[in-house]
Amino acid sequence: MTIRQNVRQNATLREMLAAEYALGILKGGARRRLESWLADDAALRFAINEWQDRLNPMSEFATPVQPSPEVWRAISKQIGLKKTEHQNRKSFWLNLREDLSFWRGLGMASTALATVLIAVLLTRQPEVAVPQAPMFVATLTNEQAQPIALVTGDAHNHKMVIKVVTRQAVAEDKSLELWAVPKEGAPRSLGLIASDGTVTLPMPEGSTPDSIPLLAVTLEPKGGSPNPNGPTGPVVFKGAWLNI
Amino acid sequence: MTTDTRQLKTWLAATARKDGDAFRQLYDATSSKLFGFALRILVKRELAEEVIQESFVSIWNNAASYQAGLAAPMTWMTTIVRNKAFDTLRRIDGAVEIDADNFDKEVMDALESVDPTPIEALQISDESKALARCFAKLESLHRQAIALAFYHDLSHSEVAEQLALPIGTVKTWVRRGLEKLRLCLTKLEGV
Repeated sequence: MTIRQNVRQNATLREMLAAEYALGILKGGARRRLESWLADDAALRFAINEWQDRLNPMSEFATPVQPSPEVWRAISKQIGLKKTEHQNRKSFWLNLREDLSFWRGLGMASTALATVLIAVLLTRQPEVAVPQAPMFVATLTNEQAQPIALVTGDAHNHKMVIKVVTRQAVAEDKSLELWAVPKEGAPRSLGLIASDGTVTLPMPEGSTPDSIPLLAVTLEPKGGSPNPNGPTGPVVFKGAWLNI
Repeated sequence: MTTDTRQLKTWLAATARKDGDAFRQLYDATSSKLFGFALRILVKRELAEEVIQESFVSIWNNAASYQAGLAAPMTWMTTIVRNKAFDTLRRIDGAVEIDADNFDKEVMDALESVDPTPIEALQISDESKALARCFAKLESLHRQAIALAFYHDLSHSEVAEQLALPIGTVKTWVRRGLEKLRLCLTKLEGV
């Protein structure tokens, strides 16, 4: 029996070769031979795909690192994407705002969650008096809807407190920056936040949910966005800014 | 299928229709993972960035040929990045230093820990967490042999050289290790 027939008929051998191929340890003549069988062996192709699904998640055992913005610029230029960087950004914020109907739908749930979180915060810090002035709150969540940070705003003291509830791994040359996303116009920086623990920032006049329906955090170069008109990095978490 | 996977499939399908916005979202969601991986293989930032650029151009051009039924989107994209990184590695004649720790320090610590909590706390996809849980059950030398091959494009004899072990031993360990991973992952899927 040839090796070829053997691989076709012997499932154990096929699995083993597929595993070694997907891992990359199968080299030279053996690798080329296996590749020459792929075109007419669906079972072998399937086995290799399965092994890639199993092993490729190993790639995430390396620390994620943000590529420089030039990489995206080079890609979009090479494939001829018509939109400029500026338009992309604008459409991005536009999309975020268009998401608002979705956020409003979530409003009830978010408010309930925020109330629970506030209660937790207040019981943890008994010295904090129950606030009298208008209070605003946002639960910032990541793409997986996992709560990352809780923001509370106190209109009377013009202060906002950002408490990170899920510690973030941030590269040393990066900072997390908090933005107020207004109904119209460019997002406004509220300041840098820590990757863990609590930060208090001044809350600008007029930062009410009526004019600022959304808060977002972006990943920026150390010290914050170099662009005075808005963020340069991706939004990592966001949430609706609500009255409570 | 996890939510992440479903989302990536949606973006990839839109990319196949040449939707630039979806492609940008796909890039934003995956580029730092893929860049970290390429950087682990190539060490030099310029080389890894070149690989990411080439890979995403290739993803844009070939999205239509991605077959959703076969592999997960992240698997497909990782394979593209890995192949391109290994091509570069061959071009520069493998002049990259191989260190013992193939994984992120936090991942290494989590794998070594008897407590399952550190693995759960890692900021990685569910698929990677499952793999980490199974990796944690392997003997550390078996794990290392598999990681060396995966990250550095090494053959059995090259892994044997790195670990100063006979090639036969490495072959057996890798096979045994892979089989254990398969069984463990199948068990986890069943839960």
